[in-house]
Amino acid sequence: MTLSIHLTVNGAAQDVALDDPRVTLLDLLRERLHLTGTKKGCDRGQCGACTVLVDGRRVNSCLTLAASLEGAEVLTIEGVARGDELHPVQAAFIANDGFQCGYCTPGQIMSAIGLISEGRLDGDPERVREGMSGNLCRCGAYAGITNAVLEAEATMSETAKEAAE
Amino acid sequence: MNIATPKFGVGASALRKEDMPLVTGRGRYTDDVHPEGTLSAYVVRSPYSAARFTITSTEAAKAADGVHLVLTAADIPHIGPMKCQGVATQPDGSKHAVREMPVLCESAVRLVGDAVAFVVADTQALARDASELIEIEWEMGEGIAETAGALAEDAPLVWPELGTNRAYTYKIGDERATEQAFADAAHVSRIAFTNQRLISNYMETRASLGEYDAERDRFTLTTGTQGVHGVRDTLAKDNFSIDAEKVRVVTNDVGGGFGTKAFNYRENPLVLEAAKRLGRPVKWVGDRTEHFLVDAHGRDNVVVAEMAMDAEGRFLGLKIDLKANLGAYCGQFGPMIPVIGTSMTTGLYDIANIDVTVTGVYTNTTPVDAYRGAGRPEAAFLIERLADTCARDLGLPVEEIRRKNFIRPDQFPYKTATGRTYDVGEFDGHMTRAMECADWAGFEERAEEAKGRGRLRGIGMATYIEACAFAGSEAANLELNEDGTVTLYIGTQTNGQGHSTAYSQFIADKIGIDFDRIIVHQGDTDRLAKGGGTGGSRSIPLGGVSVAKASDSLAEKMRKVAADELEASAADIELVDGEARIVGTDRTMTYADLAKAASMEDRKADAEIVQDEATYPNGTHICEIEIDPETGTSEIVAYTIVDDFGVTVNPTLLLGQVHGGAVQGIGQALSEEAVHAEDGQLVTASFQDYTMPRAEGLPNFTFETRNVPSTTNALGIKGAGEAATIGSTPATLNAVVDALYRARGLTDIAMPATPQRIWNALNAV
Ligand code: FES
Ligand code: FES
Repeated sequence: MTLSIHLTVNGAAQDVALDDPRVTLLDLLRERLHLTGTKKGCDRGQCGACTVLVDGRRVNSCLTLAASLEGAEVLTIEGVARGDELHPVQAAFIANDGFQCGYCTPGQIMSAIGLISEGRLDGDPERVREGMSGNLCRCGAYAGITNAVLEAEATMSETAKEAAE
Repeated sequence: MNIATPKFGVGASALRKEDMPLVTGRGRYTDDVHPEGTLSAYVVRSPYSAARFTITSTEAAKAADGVHLVLTAADIPHIGPMKCQGVATQPDGSKHAVREMPVLCESAVRLVGDAVAFVVADTQALARDASELIEIEWEMGEGIAETAGALAEDAPLVWPELGTNRAYTYKIGDERATEQAFADAAHVSRIAFTNQRLISNYMETRASLGEYDAERDRFTLTTGTQGVHGVRDTLAKDNFSIDAEKVRVVTNDVGGGFGTKAFNYRENPLVLEAAKRLGRPVKWVGDRTEHFLVDAHGRDNVVVAEMAMDAEGRFLGLKIDLKANLGAYCGQFGPMIPVIGTSMTTGLYDIANIDVTVTGVYTNTTPVDAYRGAGRPEAAFLIERLADTCARDLGLPVEEIRRKNFIRPDQFPYKTATGRTYDVGEFDGHMTRAMECADWAGFEERAEEAKGRGRLRGIGMATYIEACAFAGSEAANLELNEDGTVTLYIGTQTNGQGHSTAYSQFIADKIGIDFDRIIVHQGDTDRLAKGGGTGGSRSIPLGGVSVAKASDSLAEKMRKVAADELEASAADIELVDGEARIVGTDRTMTYADLAKAASMEDRKADAEIVQDEATYPNGTHICEIEIDPETGTSEIVAYTIVDDFGVTVNPTLLLGQVHGGAVQGIGQALSEEAVHAEDGQLVTASFQDYTMPRAEGLPNFTFETRNVPSTTNALGIKGAGEAATIGSTPATLNAVVDALYRARGLTDIAMPATPQRIWNALNAV
C-alpha cells in the first residue's frame, strides 16, 4: 500500500509517496530526498547523530516514522545557513573547535539550535552539558561543543534583543 | 627570504580549513556516496560464538525478491584470508603459528558475528529479508571468552588442532638479573588487574562501496580508512592475489578511526567481488550492532606486575606476566600490540632489570587490535598504577616515589631495559608544574571541605611517556599549479585531526601563500604513489617534516624562476602573500605567472625525511575526583594536563586531540567495558549497555605544554594524537583509588570504576 504525505523540508514543500509505512524520517531524508547531511550513528535513538528539528523541536529522526509527519515542518543541517551566511550555531562550532571528524556535528548543531530555542540555558555550562548529553561525540569534542553552544546562545539573544529594540 | 604568514604559519592557532563542509552537512562520508545503480549488501553472521555449520541451500534466497547475488565460502575459493602482519617472535626465535580470519567461514564459526554468507539485493532491507531464507544447519559448540579461563586445562579450544588456546609467548628482559634484583630487594609491591576490553565506537560505522571496471579489469573500493595504501596492498596481495595496480582505494571524509579503521576488513573484498560479478556498484553499510560485534576491539590484558625496590624506594627490577586476549583470530596487527606495549613498560623510570612474559590467548571473541594508543595505554596504566602502589606500600607520597625513580635529564639519551632510546625529557619538570597548576598542595583542605558535604575526594596523577612516529618516513609531493595555488599530495589520512590545516601551516610558512590557495590531497591510491597512513601519532612528526622540506625546495625553485623573470638574484626574492617580490621594491610577479614561466620540473618538489627512532611525548595528568558514597557515583571536579609535545604546530588542533584523548581515556577508567557472557556472547552490544562518555559529567580541562624539542625529529615535534588517552586512564583510576584509600583504606578497584563497583567496594568494608 502506498501512503502519500506532504511536508516541508528546509522550507520546500515535498510530496512523498511511501511504499513502506516503516520508513523513518532519517531514511526519507538520506535515501529519498538525498539530504545526506543528517547522519546515522545507531538507528536506535541512542546517539543523537540524526537529530533534526520537527516543528521547531529536536527529534531523533531515526525513531520518527515519516508517515507521522503529515503537514510537519522539518529543518535539517542543510537548511540552517542563509546562503553563504552561517547560522550562529554553525559559526560558533567553527570558532570553538566543536568537532574533529564532523560526523556527529550535524546532529550536535541541530540539537544545539533546538536547545537554545527552548530558552532554559541562561549561560549555564552545566545546563548545556545536560541538554546536549543525548548527542555522542567519540572525538570527545565536548569542551568545544559546550563553549560553542554558550557562545551561540549569547550571540542569538544579543541579536534578538537588537531586533526587539 | 621567506616571510611566514603569522596567522597561518607553524605555531599559529589557525582555525581549521576542513570545517565549512562539515558544519553545513556537505561532508562526504562513505555512505553519502551513492553512484547510479548501486546495490546493497548484507552480511549473514553467526549467532553463536562457536559452532560448525553447513549451508544446505541458498536457492530460496537467490530467488527472493530483488536479490542479485548470494555468496558463500564455496563461491570464493580464490579469495585469500585477512592476513596477520604482526606476528610475534617467541623466546626460541620461532614465529608463532597464526590463525587468520577467512573472508567467509567455510564450516566453522569462532565468534558471534563471524561471516557465513553475503547477500546483495536492490535494498538492504531486501538483502536482509532474503538472508533469512538461506538454509543453515548449525551444530553448536562450546565457546570461551575469558582470557585466564581459556588457558585452563579443560577449556574449550578455539582451534582444536592447536591443542591449546595459547597463541604465542613473547619474552623481553633478563630473567636472571631480575630474579637477583628481587632477591636483593628490601620491598616488593605487586598489582594484579584486568585492562578491560574496549570498543572503538567511532560515530561513523564502517561502510564499503565496491566498483569494478570490466574494461580495465580494475577494482575501486571507497571506504573510510586510516591510509588507502595499506588497505589496497592487503586487498590486492592477500585477498585477490593480483597486482596492486588493479585496485584503487579511495577514502573521503572519515567519521573517526582511532586505530580500528586502519585495517582491511572482510567486507572490502566481498563488495569488490560482488561488484565484479554483477557489473554494478555494491555497497555494504555496517550498523551499530555490527560495529560492536565485528570491528576490531581494543586492550583486554590480564596482568600481574611486581616491583622490587631498595629500602629507599628505588626501583630495582620489574616483573610482568601479561596475558593478552587476541580474540578468535590474529588481527592484522593483533599479536604485535602487547609486544609494542611492553616495549614502553618501564615508563619514565630508570629501571635496570625487567622480566616480561606476554602470552597471547585465543578466545571466542572479536579480534583485538590497535585502538588509540595500541599497547602504550596498557603499558602506562600498568606502570603508573604500580608506582602508586609502591608509594602506598612504602608510605611515601606518590610524587616522591616518582621523583626518586625518574630518568634524570642528565641521563639522556637513555636506553631503556626494553631497548628503546629516549632522546630528551624533563619528567620532574612537568610533574612539578602540573602539581602547581592543580594546586596539589591545597588538596587536603579541599578534601576536608568535601567531607563536610558528605563527599569522598581523591587526587591522582599519572606521569606518562609514549612512543610515537615509529621509525619510518612519509613522502610529501608539492606542486605549484597554473593558477598559482599549491597542491600537496601525502599518504597520511585525516580522520578528523585536521591534517589539511596542519600541513597547510608548514607550506604557508615557507611559501607565503594563503590557506585557501593550498589544496591537500589524501585518500586516493590513484593520486598518490605511496603512503604510510595515519596511526601511532605519526602524521605530523613524519608527514610534517617532509612537507616542510618539500616546501623549502619548492620555495627555492620558485625564487630561482622569479629571479630569472624579474632579472634579479634569487637571494633577493621573497615569497609573500602569493607573490614573488624583489625585496624592498614593488617589482613582483604572481604565483600564477610564475607557474606559467616555470618548467614542469620547477613546479614540483618532493621530500621524504626518514626518522630512525620513535619520538617520545610525555607529560603529567592530574585528576581530582569526588565520590558520593550514597550512590557510588563519581564526578571529576578538576583535571590538569601538562604535556611535552616537543614543538606545537597548531594549539587549536592540539587541544582538540588532547581533550578528545582524555575523554576516551576517562571513559575507560570510569565507564566503558565490553562484557562477554562466558561462552562469548557480547552482552554490551549497544550504547544502552556500553557506557560512552557524554557531555554531562566531564570536567573542564586545564592544559598547558612544557615542550622540550625532540632531538630525533627534524623539527623537534613529538606527536600528540594518542598521548592524552594514555595519561588519562591511570590518572583517573589513581584518583578513584586515592579517594577510596582515604575513606576506607582500600588500595584497588577494578576498571572501569563504575558507580556500582565503587558502591560495592565502599559497602564491602
Ligand atoms: S542515529 Fe538516531 S539516535 Fe543514533
Ligand atoms: S566530531 Fe567526531 S564524533 Fe564528534
